[in-house]
Amino acid sequence: MGRSLRILLLLGAALLVLAAGGCGGDDDGGGGEGATIIHGTTDQPVSYDPAGSYDLPSWNVIYNAIWGLLSLPPGGNQPEPALAESCNFDNPSTYTCKLREGLKFSDGTDLTAEDVKHSFDRNNRINDPKGAAPLLGSLYKETGKVTGDEVEVVDDLTVTFHLNRPDATWPFIMTTGAGGIVPSEYPADKIQPDAQAVGHGPYKIAEYRPGEQTVLERNDDFYGEAPKNERVIIQYFDKSSALKLAVENGEVDLGYRNLTPTEVEDLRGADGVEVVEGNGTEIRYMVFNTKLEPGNNEAVRKAMAYVIDRQAIVDNVYNGTVEPLYSMVPRGLAGHTDNFKTVYGETPDKAKAEQVLEQAGVQTPVKAEIWWTPSHYGDLSADEYAEIKRALDGSGLFDVQLKSTEWDEYSEASSKDQYPVFQLGWFPDYPDPDNYLTPFYRSDSFLNNHYKNEQVDKLLADQQASTDQTEREEFFKQIQEIAAEEVPIIPIWQGKQVAAVREGITGVADTFDPSFQFRYWLVAKE
Amino acid sequence: MLGGRFLAPIREARGVPLWVLWAGIVITLVFIVLALFAPMISPYDFDEYRTGTGERFGKQQHPSADHPFGTNVLGTDVLARVIFGARTALEVVILAVFFSLAVGLPLGLVSGYYGGRLDRLLVLIMDSLFAFPYLLLAIVVAFLLSDKIGRGVFTAAVAISVVYIPQYFRVVRNHVISVREESYVEAARALGAKPRTVIGRYVLQNVIQNVPVIATLNAADAILTLAALGFLGYGIQPTDAAEWGYDLQRAISDAGAGIWWTGLFPGMAIVTLVTGLTLLGEGLNDVLNPVLRRRPIQAVILPERQSRLPADQVGV
Amino acid sequence: MAGTPHTTSLRTYALTRLALALPMVWILLTMVFLLMRVAPGDPISAALGGRVPAEQLQERREAAGYDRPLIVQYFEYLGEIARLDFGETIVDRRPVTKVILQNGAATLELTLVALIVALGVGISVGLISGRYRDTPLDIAGRLFGILIYAAPVFFLGFLAQIVFSQWLGWFPSSGRASPVTSFDLDTPTNLFLIDALIALDFDAFIDVLKHIVLPATTLGLVIGGVFIRLVRVNVLQTLQGDYIEAARARGLSERTVVWHHAFKNALVPVITIIGLQIALLLGGAVLTEQTFNWPGIGSELIRYLNNRDYIAIQGIITFFALLVVAISLVIDLVNAWVDPRVRY
Repeated sequence: MGRSLRILLLLGAALLVLAAGGCGGDDDGGGGEGATIIHGTTDQPVSYDPAGSYDLPSWNVIYNAIWGLLSLPPGGNQPEPALAESCNFDNPSTYTCKLREGLKFSDGTDLTAEDVKHSFDRNNRINDPKGAAPLLGSLYKETGKVTGDEVEVVDDLTVTFHLNRPDATWPFIMTTGAGGIVPSEYPADKIQPDAQAVGHGPYKIAEYRPGEQTVLERNDDFYGEAPKNERVIIQYFDKSSALKLAVENGEVDLGYRNLTPTEVEDLRGADGVEVVEGNGTEIRYMVFNTKLEPGNNEAVRKAMAYVIDRQAIVDNVYNGTVEPLYSMVPRGLAGHTDNFKTVYGETPDKAKAEQVLEQAGVQTPVKAEIWWTPSHYGDLSADEYAEIKRALDGSGLFDVQLKSTEWDEYSEASSKDQYPVFQLGWFPDYPDPDNYLTPFYRSDSFLNNHYKNEQVDKLLADQQASTDQTEREEFFKQIQEIAAEEVPIIPIWQGKQVAAVREGITGVADTFDPSFQFRYWLVAKE
Repeated sequence: MLGGRFLAPIREARGVPLWVLWAGIVITLVFIVLALFAPMISPYDFDEYRTGTGERFGKQQHPSADHPFGTNVLGTDVLARVIFGARTALEVVILAVFFSLAVGLPLGLVSGYYGGRLDRLLVLIMDSLFAFPYLLLAIVVAFLLSDKIGRGVFTAAVAISVVYIPQYFRVVRNHVISVREESYVEAARALGAKPRTVIGRYVLQNVIQNVPVIATLNAADAILTLAALGFLGYGIQPTDAAEWGYDLQRAISDAGAGIWWTGLFPGMAIVTLVTGLTLLGEGLNDVLNPVLRRRPIQAVILPERQSRLPADQVGV
Repeated sequence: MAGTPHTTSLRTYALTRLALALPMVWILLTMVFLLMRVAPGDPISAALGGRVPAEQLQERREAAGYDRPLIVQYFEYLGEIARLDFGETIVDRRPVTKVILQNGAATLELTLVALIVALGVGISVGLISGRYRDTPLDIAGRLFGILIYAAPVFFLGFLAQIVFSQWLGWFPSSGRASPVTSFDLDTPTNLFLIDALIALDFDAFIDVLKHIVLPATTLGLVIGGVFIRLVRVNVLQTLQGDYIEAARARGLSERTVVWHHAFKNALVPVITIIGLQIALLLGGAVLTEQTFNWPGIGSELIRYLNNRDYIAIQGIITFFALLVVAISLVIDLVNAWVDPRVRY
């Protein structure tokens, strides 16, 4: 007996030693004395080539290291010159930019008008399956094809964009990740490997280990104000619970995207952690296929709009980390109006809903099949749709059956007339109301829900052709009015941007604005 | 006759194996009762979120008299979800064991009995399936089926059974091969019995003795696989049924916030049921499998043990 | 048992065994391919669905070649594998071989340390259980084995995180190293413990060690549960073996009998089983990696699976499959070499 017990004892002792080695106290990233910011996130990028990405996490790094001609200033929602000194519409379909002098890429080469042309042309030519070439539709007639005349190099520092139709949103498009300027050495027909990403911006991409981390280092050749930190490490997490613990233990300086509401609520009370909130422009909405039962009846759509309980979703599912949304255009954007609130009220109105259905001669309860997906908009979708079912069934006017499938199947089937009512979400390419109206209400919408209103189509075309901001806002107002009246889509909520930051980290609130760009250069430690 | 042959060793069993067996039987029975009478035992339905008067339970409420296990992130009762989870688990596992038996057993019988090219081919395919990382196989099958027939109990059961078919096949085939050479089977064949009769009457009866042990042990494993599927988000849609793995995954974000009850109880349910089934399986194995039965000579040589255990409990 | 015939027959056996392994590899490859292509969805709709119109998705799918006849894609795939070219992932454009090397190393590191834990726990508890059969020690040992086997890895991991990371703050809850360490450390082998030793960076080594404790212990315990059972049964069987009785009859002390004969012999099959348990290890690793945010090949696989990255999934699974086949081949050969009766 003695011997085997001794082995066990030894083993236990070994474990104890290990454990003791472990309690060496909290490590705080060490080294940099506040110079290194560690950002933890569950969002993972696709590619740091502007021609190969169309997703928030990739663009976020591009916003910090591979700037475009224009950018959105913190807190502002109108584009401002960045690599360009100035940009102007010569006429509604011709746009000319003048570059700043003496700009250099992070590899030391000069940044010229030629590089600008190369960047846009290769984006459309490569037409990468995961890229954002479709955003450049007003510049290039056909994705994948470049004639060479679209972008004209006037001289070393001047470049003119010849649009194929008037497009007031073009300056906005140039502020997106798709507008990042890369050197002419980038292959014209292939995506650049991420290890060799080059650009001009406050930071240089120093290292990228997929699934682990991206490291940004201060770019000393940046033309503008220097960042308030020397280095940013973006650390990737598979699960938000791990991210939350890392914030709590001080393993990361800031946790941004995607902590669950429960985690956020708990972090609010945690020691040494502060929760920073800001305006966000991510939205969720519910689409009716206007050809399928029961959404083919406007009265049914209206009745649902009356009884849906946004506040219940906000409170019970999201713990207040989102806000009710009463138009497809979220609050914070120029031209937003609260039409669904004015028409259908803030709280569920069963009587009105009943009245609408009765007038239209609809038998109640109305059977409705509502679809949602568990694998794209987070775990809370399940709870959100349970809540929607509760509100609709609770009114006694509806009999809801919830159905769900994996995102791959879902995204296809929903646009192929297979789902009568379905969940979707959106985050903006750029913070202009156009980006929240044209994709959804134009008769060729990607939703393919058969909603068609010629007046809306015309208004959408008009606002794109106008370069007068007040005039555009008037058009936006009219479109939102009609949309609320005919209800092809019910807006549900608008997300806030939420970050949990360690004590001593400043500047995060400054970057939270409708543009959805995380500007690391504003963030400082102590 | 079959029952008698099967039950006899249990009646003869003594000592630890018997206790193991009993513990397994009791735990498993408790869960079976929970599953069968869930609507009667559970205070609420698994998706109920408010009281009869229309008042909400509230989200993530501490355990209380009304909700002994508290409420979860959906505002439903955790106890109810644990109880109904037993139902889901048993449904899935019974279906899964049935499917894998229905496929694995006949294939194993045929493959082992006839041998030859068919046998080699089947062994190759089954070995390949066996070499495939099992969780992945289940995930892929689960999402293949989820788009055709939805994310329900049936899908989960099929996904899990695919993992266990090769195991049944292997065990049955190897057993058949050894039984085939037994003198009484050879005698039957020599007397001109048809293959079907030989397989059915002699081989099957012999092989089937092993099945309860494997089935219980696999059932335990299947519950873990189901939980893993749910944990990774490839399991059953939460509005359709209560499933422990899914609830546990949702609870992980609660636990960091000090809300321990939403994760602990589903987790404990998994551990307890799997333990119960394993004890049952091991108990059966100890009792039915004579190889490990203690031989008296040992008891004589090791005096310390003899003093502790009465001679009649030493077995055999 | 003379030298020459021994080796020749071993060689013949090896060749036969290899010939049998090839069709198995082929079946595995075909299975991987079919499963991935029959499964709904593709990387493009996974990424851009809900943003661009259906026709554009279709166009992009055609451009990427996902609409070509399956048979064409199949032979292309087989050809690539034959050239050991696993392709480049779609989601983040990494060569799959690099994914396997980089993230595979993380998994290897985790698994090796876990294996040490598993062997430590499994062998000690198993030996004691088997030696003191039916005593309270045995019952406690068995129950412990069953309980840790019955606890899902993610539940155990989750408890460990709460207790040791959140409450006690002894160990970090996730990752392989703190962000600064993993940036500063040169990683020629991608096994961080070894890399830190090579760099003679003591702080980094401690940091990495701290990170590996919780995931490795969790995974190790779960595998240990299997070992406990195995060791125990083997000890029971060897203790009943004739030569043990013979040894006892020769009047050797009980301690010598148990230690020198029973335990040593009981361990041999355990070593074999470790190899065979590789699938279990990998399955457990997927879940452990998910729980502890360990950037291993398992968590990468889940990530690629969620993004429907065919190329990555095919590549990784193919690699797994080849690995499993290769290991079972090696085990069979070793067994044949040790015990000539196996060769027939």
